[in-house]
Amino acid sequence: MSGKRVCLLFAIAAGLLTQAASEEYTAAERRHWAFQPVVRPQAPAFTLAADKTWARNPVDAFVLARLQKEGLRPAPAATRATWLRRVYYDLIGLPPSPEQIKAFESDRSAGAFEKVVERLLESPRYGERWAQHWLDVVRFAETDGFEYDTHRPDAWRYRDYVIRSIQEDKPYNQFITEQLAGDEMDAADQTLRVASGFQRLGPLRKNAGNQEVASSRNEVLTEMTNAVGSALLGVTLGCARCHDHKFDPIRHTDYYRMQAYFAAVHDQDVTVATNEEKASWEAAKKAVEAEIEDLRKQMKTLKGEERGRMQQRIRNAQERMPGPLPALYSVHNDFEKASSIHVLARGEYQNKGQRMGMRPLGVLLPDGAAELEPGVKAPRTQLARWIASESNPLTARVMVNRIWQYHFGRGIVATPNDFGRMGGRPSHPQLLDWLASRFVEEGWRMKPLHRMIVLSNTYRQTSASPQEAVAMEKDAGNAWLWKFNRYRLDAEQLRDSMLAVSARIQLKMGGPSVIVPADEELVNLLYKPAQWAVTADGAEHDRRSVYLIHKRNLRLPMMEVFDAPDFQTSCARRESSTHAPQALELLNGAFASEMAKALAARLDREAATTAAQVDLAYRLAAGRAPSAKEKQLGVEFLRNQPLREFALAVLNLNAFLYVN
Amino acid sequence: MTHCRLTRNRREFLSDAFCGFGTLALTSMLFEEKLRAARNNPLAPKPPHFPAKAKSIIFLFMAGGPSHLETFDHKPLLNQLDGQKRPAEFGEVKYQFVTADAKILGTKRTFQRYGKSGIEVSDLLPHTAQIVDDIAVIRSCHGDMVVHSAAQYQLFSGRVIPGFPSMGSWMVYGLGAETDSLPSYVVMPDPDGALEAGQPMYMHGFLPAVYQPTMMRAGKKPMLNLDLPAGVKLEERRQTIDLIRELNQAAIAGSDPEFEARISAYDLAFKMQTEAPGVFDISTERAETLEMYGVGKEPTDDYARRCLLARRMVERGVRFVTVVSGGGPGNLQWDAHEDIEENHVRMAAQTDQPVAALIKDLKRRGMLDSTLVLWGGEFGRSPEAQGGKGRDHHNTGFTMWMAGGGIKGGQVVGATDGIGLRAVERPVHFRDIHTTMLHQMGLSQDALSYMHQGRKERLTEVHGEVIREIV
Repeated sequence: MSGKRVCLLFAIAAGLLTQAASEEYTAAERRHWAFQPVVRPQAPAFTLAADKTWARNPVDAFVLARLQKEGLRPAPAATRATWLRRVYYDLIGLPPSPEQIKAFESDRSAGAFEKVVERLLESPRYGERWAQHWLDVVRFAETDGFEYDTHRPDAWRYRDYVIRSIQEDKPYNQFITEQLAGDEMDAADQTLRVASGFQRLGPLRKNAGNQEVASSRNEVLTEMTNAVGSALLGVTLGCARCHDHKFDPIRHTDYYRMQAYFAAVHDQDVTVATNEEKASWEAAKKAVEAEIEDLRKQMKTLKGEERGRMQQRIRNAQERMPGPLPALYSVHNDFEKASSIHVLARGEYQNKGQRMGMRPLGVLLPDGAAELEPGVKAPRTQLARWIASESNPLTARVMVNRIWQYHFGRGIVATPNDFGRMGGRPSHPQLLDWLASRFVEEGWRMKPLHRMIVLSNTYRQTSASPQEAVAMEKDAGNAWLWKFNRYRLDAEQLRDSMLAVSARIQLKMGGPSVIVPADEELVNLLYKPAQWAVTADGAEHDRRSVYLIHKRNLRLPMMEVFDAPDFQTSCARRESSTHAPQALELLNGAFASEMAKALAARLDREAATTAAQVDLAYRLAAGRAPSAKEKQLGVEFLRNQPLREFALAVLNLNAFLYVN
Repeated sequence: MTHCRLTRNRREFLSDAFCGFGTLALTSMLFEEKLRAARNNPLAPKPPHFPAKAKSIIFLFMAGGPSHLETFDHKPLLNQLDGQKRPAEFGEVKYQFVTADAKILGTKRTFQRYGKSGIEVSDLLPHTAQIVDDIAVIRSCHGDMVVHSAAQYQLFSGRVIPGFPSMGSWMVYGLGAETDSLPSYVVMPDPDGALEAGQPMYMHGFLPAVYQPTMMRAGKKPMLNLDLPAGVKLEERRQTIDLIRELNQAAIAGSDPEFEARISAYDLAFKMQTEAPGVFDISTERAETLEMYGVGKEPTDDYARRCLLARRMVERGVRFVTVVSGGGPGNLQWDAHEDIEENHVRMAAQTDQPVAALIKDLKRRGMLDSTLVLWGGEFGRSPEAQGGKGRDHHNTGFTMWMAGGGIKGGQVVGATDGIGLRAVERPVHFRDIHTTMLHQMGLSQDALSYMHQGRKERLTEVHGEVIREIV
């Protein structure tokens, strides 16, 4: 099928009419690789027996062909224990136990590797782990940010929706359609209503006093539009908010035509409280209101600093106001209040240009493609149909690239949110297209892709290649995958692993987010310290990190120093920096101390001699037995030093923090 | 991607130099030099883009928005118009609270000319008046937002939304660190509480976490994780860190730059832990110095201590220090909605003497030439009254000042109109302030960029201009 014909069909799929519009695109603009239709390439074939054996699936075939072209060889296979630890962290974000390692090492049956992968993909831990990736991309947080950083106490429902969807391997086209247009699909379906809360995930600025309605609305629409560009389409749509995109064929008008799909979107909290809950909520609210009223009266006579202190007391009282009743954070179309969408010069709401209607990105349509007729009943359903279409050249490519990146630490396109000209070129373009078309063919499901990738020989390579010196000269960034990329645990993997090896982890799933204790000095850096209301049940504090509150104005130092994102903008790829505050956190931080104590207690419980304690500590934390040298160092240390300090050292080891 | 790729030679040096903390604590010159030579250490000092005037910056952040009309911008017309509606010729502006029917509020402050330059300063700031020849007063500042949080984000990061790196993070990203026992970017918030924009205002945004600020918090533990956990002795912990290093080294096969970077991070952490607390010990300062800042007496004690600490940090190579005045509810900041007199007399009394002392102290120590000091808030205050005696937020014309770091003092830049409503002569936007700061540090606003979401992001977003008159 010719490119032009695809575009045309595509236009029909998007419900477009033909009507002349001003923008046209040059052939060069249309030629950019990411805008070409996905065409399934043939996997390379090999003649040598060794190559045939190594290329156990198409992933391997594409990688091997590229390596050979560059004059490189794949690294040897990692040991079983190394592969097991790698695949555990990758798929479930937690280390295998010594028993699991032992069982796998002794399972010499034909499908031993496959069995492990199936078990992990079915584990609820998988949904928790891979949900985190999506939550990064959509900048999920549970507070507004800005001045009030108001909590969104029911935001966890969206997080649980993501975990469940990923766990059950919901087709990706359905997953994104639900988020874009769940409320339009079925307003009575609670799951769909929660899903469409996707459009409300961005920071939200509120202020007292005179309201700048137009500018606030512009900010909200901007957040919605930009998220679609970076999270779903992998294009820097946001760059076209102020002017034509400087590098990509995305016009200033494209931005506002995309925004037009959201013109009628307004927040809607769907209350799910019972009448009793409503009554007790009213009572609690009245009590605090009375208290504040009283303080306000007292304040009338006060001046200066005393007045300031009283303001503080009033503020503290306000913090005791009962939180909102349980609700689903959703959106709906309110066509009466629909914003009139115009091209805005420099993105400023005051500088209104020509009025814009709904239309997908022009470069993916025939020249002169018209806007949708006004009066569309379900605009976001239309948008979703276009984005989640098989013929959209971006959507599937962007998603399989994300999946690839989370497995290998680097995407086939190294810039997962930017498939434009300033983004990276694909290292394996044919592989990317092969994966994208396979993804669509298998019903947009992630699990078949995971299976193929983690069971490939590419994935099984060691992280230290015997040809390192030569390969580094040719490809220091390991774009051709001549070895596996060793990586440091990310913030969530690290915290969860510390809980796991010290046998403290609570694997309870779902529900409201947990607020763990934090230093008073840190909480006092909040404008409203009372917001940090620590979860009363201490056992909750030991839950996985995905269940900790994602508060925009206070991130736990433990997460922050290990490069957890700041929830303000979409995070497509975590940084991995190395610096002294990380060491201070893992040595002196309250959490590290507590985990060290718990690990020490476990070692004491489960191992009788110091030698056995050293052995067990390594098996728990590093997924392997200690070397003779390591064992000797540990045993010598334990002659004079407490077990707690040894346990702390173990939680600081590279062998624990890195995945080979 | 790792940000710590070190040279191969580094391993040899490490195995020589890091044979124990005993040696390390001596902090040999060799250690320092080699550390700096470490290629691609994200904190290794980097050459500026062009010769720099300043090495460090101290930002005296008057949070909540100090009034230009009560401090540096004398407007006799304001008192003449007291109680009247704003004459139409001045045009319209948008405020957060006051509305179109608000009346002009005259000031109770009196102004006088000071120093050789004869710059006018109000009687609210008698100490600052004494150093006026060292400062460049910019009377024509303006920003885009009239509410605290967004204005604070713009002041710190150039953007009105959170998620972008603050000036401090950009400076350390651009120039690296000159100290290895202290963090390079420090924020000292006001013990009365936090500000509207919260922590994201000070943060590193999308830059790697190595460029994050260190919050020097009020209370017993000023820096996070610097104290050993209860019940752990230093000697005991030293052995633990030795064990970590030995075990890590035992597992390294051949050269491994990334792991070596981690090993050195632990060594630096220990060094910070043993040496950083020294910076807090101001007992070594002379009595005269303490008195000059106003340490030990109210209401200056707190801000005086923090200004003194700022000097001590800069002395030790810290790149960027923010010293915040004001925190918690509005009336404990410069946010004088209710009573401009009461609020500003109190806030000025806390800060005026320490601020002036800091400039004098830097100058007599020969540090002022290499230390850029910026004074100001996220906006100024309205010419109109709010509720009779207060003033509202005001972003279209207000005053900030700069001193040191190559800034030519004793001059005034720009002007507002007759009532201080709008910057009319040589308007200076936050991005121009940022550009000027970068320029003094030897950094070009275009070259200092970071690729994020397909865009080369920079502190100034839209191109700013150096304030040529003062550099």
